[in-house]
Amino acid sequence: MITAWINSHLLSFLVFAPMLWGLALLPLSERQAPLAKLLGLLGSTGVLVVAASQLLHLPADALGQVWAERFPWFTAVGIPVDYHLAVDGLNLWLVLLTTFLVPLTLLGTWNSIKERPGTAVALFLMLETGMLGALVAQDLFVFYLFWEAMLLPMYFLIGVWGGDERKYAATKFVLFTLSGSLLWLVALLFLAGKAGSFAPGVMAQAVTALPFATQSTLFLAFALAFAIKVPLFPLHTWLPDAHTQAPTGGSVILAGVLLKLGSYGFLRFALPMFPDAAAHYAQLLAVLSVAAIIYGALVAMVQTDIKKLVAYSSVSHMGFIMLGIASMTVLGTQGAMLQMLNHGISTGALFLLVGMLYDRAHTRRIADFGGVALKMPVFTAFFLIVTLSSIGLPLTNGFAGEFLILNGAYTSGFAWGRALACVATLGVLLSAVYMLWMVKRVFWGPANVQEDSGTAHLHDDLNGREIAVMLPIVVLIFWMGVHPQTFLGASERQVGQMLIQQRAPRPVPGPFAEVKP
Amino acid sequence: MTLTPAELSALLPLLIPALGACLLPIACLDSDQATVKWIRASMFFIALLALTGAFFYLTRLWATGAQPSFGALRMDRLAQFGGIFVLVAAAMAVLQLWDHLHQEGWVKGETLALLLFSVVGMMLFAATGNLLLLFLALELLSLPLYALTATVRMRARAMEGGMKYFLTGAVASAFFLMGSVLLYGATGSLDIAVIGARLASGAVDPIALAGAAMLLLGFLFKMSVVPFHQWTPDVYEAAPHPIAGFMSVATKGVAVLALMRVMALGLPAVGLQMRSALALLAVLSLVLGNLAALAQSSLKRMLAYSSISHAGYLLLGLVAGTPGAYAGMLFYLLAYLAMNMGAFGVLSAFGLVGDQVGYDQLKGLGWKRPGLAIAVSLCMFSLAGLPPMAGFYGKYMIFKELILQGHVGLAVLGVLASLVSVYYYLAVPVALFMDKPSGQEQREAAERPAVVAPFAGATVLICGFLVLALGLMPGTVMAAFARKAVQETLTLAP
Repeated sequence: MITAWINSHLLSFLVFAPMLWGLALLPLSERQAPLAKLLGLLGSTGVLVVAASQLLHLPADALGQVWAERFPWFTAVGIPVDYHLAVDGLNLWLVLLTTFLVPLTLLGTWNSIKERPGTAVALFLMLETGMLGALVAQDLFVFYLFWEAMLLPMYFLIGVWGGDERKYAATKFVLFTLSGSLLWLVALLFLAGKAGSFAPGVMAQAVTALPFATQSTLFLAFALAFAIKVPLFPLHTWLPDAHTQAPTGGSVILAGVLLKLGSYGFLRFALPMFPDAAAHYAQLLAVLSVAAIIYGALVAMVQTDIKKLVAYSSVSHMGFIMLGIASMTVLGTQGAMLQMLNHGISTGALFLLVGMLYDRAHTRRIADFGGVALKMPVFTAFFLIVTLSSIGLPLTNGFAGEFLILNGAYTSGFAWGRALACVATLGVLLSAVYMLWMVKRVFWGPANVQEDSGTAHLHDDLNGREIAVMLPIVVLIFWMGVHPQTFLGASERQVGQMLIQQRAPRPVPGPFAEVKP
Repeated sequence: MTLTPAELSALLPLLIPALGACLLPIACLDSDQATVKWIRASMFFIALLALTGAFFYLTRLWATGAQPSFGALRMDRLAQFGGIFVLVAAAMAVLQLWDHLHQEGWVKGETLALLLFSVVGMMLFAATGNLLLLFLALELLSLPLYALTATVRMRARAMEGGMKYFLTGAVASAFFLMGSVLLYGATGSLDIAVIGARLASGAVDPIALAGAAMLLLGFLFKMSVVPFHQWTPDVYEAAPHPIAGFMSVATKGVAVLALMRVMALGLPAVGLQMRSALALLAVLSLVLGNLAALAQSSLKRMLAYSSISHAGYLLLGLVAGTPGAYAGMLFYLLAYLAMNMGAFGVLSAFGLVGDQVGYDQLKGLGWKRPGLAIAVSLCMFSLAGLPPMAGFYGKYMIFKELILQGHVGLAVLGVLASLVSVYYYLAVPVALFMDKPSGQEQREAAERPAVVAPFAGATVLICGFLVLALGLMPGTVMAAFARKAVQETLTLAP
């Protein structure tokens, strides 16, 4: 009986175990920090093992049913809130990505955090609960709660363990995110009042009865909250600040998972719930995405700080993901699904590598380096592999995702679809320019022999722990590049269904609906 | 005159703290005796005993579901809710006062007696619909508060604050009384339900309208709603921290409860016309309270402006004016009790004395006193309305009712205001955890004797816990308290 109960609540366990584990670690004193780190690593690895062992063997069709929990939670002023969690094709791999990145981050930044590392580990675990909960939530109110629950741990991670401007960056992060999500909450409550429920399906039905202007307003409120998180140009200004100030681990999780929640929100909620408004604004989203691709790449090119360069490259790459989603084609959306994983792994790895370099050299200025390859050959090899994957070299993960997205954008049927795809392709080129130029200045050439330069502080290459962190990432990079189908299969059917529903004829056609082929 | 048991049980919750209040001055007739430790301890013990006695009596009444009355005094669910609310706030204030007054070196028996008298007034204020009795209660709760503001009377600012509060409060009381007179003249009754029935039966008399407006002013002053708010920052800053916390929570709370009763029962006819005025005042409070709080460097002034903005949120509930909104307001008040008593209490728990306590005095304390710092951070997140803290659900329920009633614009304005508020509430955890004290400040801190404030500390921890607990099970609390109080009191009336 107990096993049956555990099995039926396995998902809740998966979501809340990290937080409870983290809370249990909080009382450990500063002297017991190594113990806290070890326990944190073990706990998060345990979550990864449970998630992987339980989720990977399920066929994609069974996911939604087997891994679901649903019961009425509370009814406040008339509108019932269901505690409804489920793993399905859309979130399966993102859940696995999250559970994969957290232990990797903890291990990769083992010695990076000097002050109160135990507390930081606890916060990472609490953050994991927020992320997993938001990914698997099927009720919009529950989603909202988890969405906001991600805010505070990250706020403290940036604000306490960040760089010199940490208070500014942390507050900016919170204010930006909240400004979107609070307006979204109003839209959510409005819609819940019309639908009498927080279930996305019921809400989507209620949407069809609303006039188009109202639908648009609601869609824009949803889109604003998600676009800030992505972040979509021109709402991205908080991201470079947060990334440069955050500790390495915070950046990895921020880029690896938190940003994905924005694009995931578009995919799961904003687009399917408001098909007409989404069709109306899809082209605008696509234009903004391409703007983000080009703008992010151009700004990344002129950065003098490696971490800031990677941060702006994030803006550019997230633009690709949003372009794929906005194309509203199966190819583009599937590409976006894949690219979310790619970006999580590649950019996460880049931040980890930059962190490893910073721990040794105590600087991130590109000009302070030169000839790093001579001093750290193993590190250079890993950095190069990740760089190439980030650029989208064929046979690495980046290529498959970007190819699908560009293909989707090209065939999207937008008035400017083909032009957009062509401009976005320019972004791929630009990403090669800024990444390789940075690699050239940092790694190649003669060693920078100035006394206070970064290269002069580099004494030892990666140790066993750091290699152990990078190896699984490299394996995944090639796996996803060579056989992306492993990661695309789960979402294929669901994405297809979603887009069919999107195009189904409805009583209230959007002005752009007829553009679709 | 003999009292029936039912009448007695309506009176007892008021009599117990009143008895305590009468006993206390006897215990410390000679104020030098307050220097003896056991006399001091027994004073606080008597005060706490009176408060807990009344508290348990009221909770028992609540559990039995009895709603006794004695003349115009009606100990109904709403009044019982108000009583429990005030008693909890007062008990926390007494515990915090023990530590705070010792830190100030100013332990006097009359402080507690005044506090208990004020508690009686507040309980009465929430328990009647008779205008005369309401006025009496208003005075009974206000006069001790004026004196309490000036508790540490050696300090010029305390005297100034008390005087300011008294002068402005007296004007507000006069308006309240004049409003009652006009309503009586227009309808021939002092009972708010009868007034409401008479007003509803005919065309609205301009005299009654003027009366209702004046009456409203009295309530809004106590709630510190813009433009009747100017006293708030000065008075909060002048008063001892626990008293400021108590005023911000209990006074505002019972004013809201009494206003709710008057609005729901008495003035539905007038209420319609007042609603747009209330909406305007709510907007003004939200905008001015939040913007002014942004500019403060003193914690207590920030909390004062924040309390003005929270008055705005509560008023929005009245604008929605549905039973659901009223229940949401009651939940909001419970949340507000926990978060504001925690916010003010932490000043005593950290041993920060003086008129002006700035953010910079919190620097680095988070790592020295992590329990207290986490608890007060939870209170701040709750004040800012971040889920899953209690404050979020309070706002959530009010906004939801507003939206359901079609006031989407007001809801949008409300969330934008709370977005602004995030900035200054977060400044507290920023100072606690993220600011690193300079070497000079660290040395000064090391020289200062360690602060021992067990009681204030305990109340802050309890508040932090309550903020989380209320936030994690809002449904239970709503069903057990808030909705019951509203359903059985406000909607059954004519």
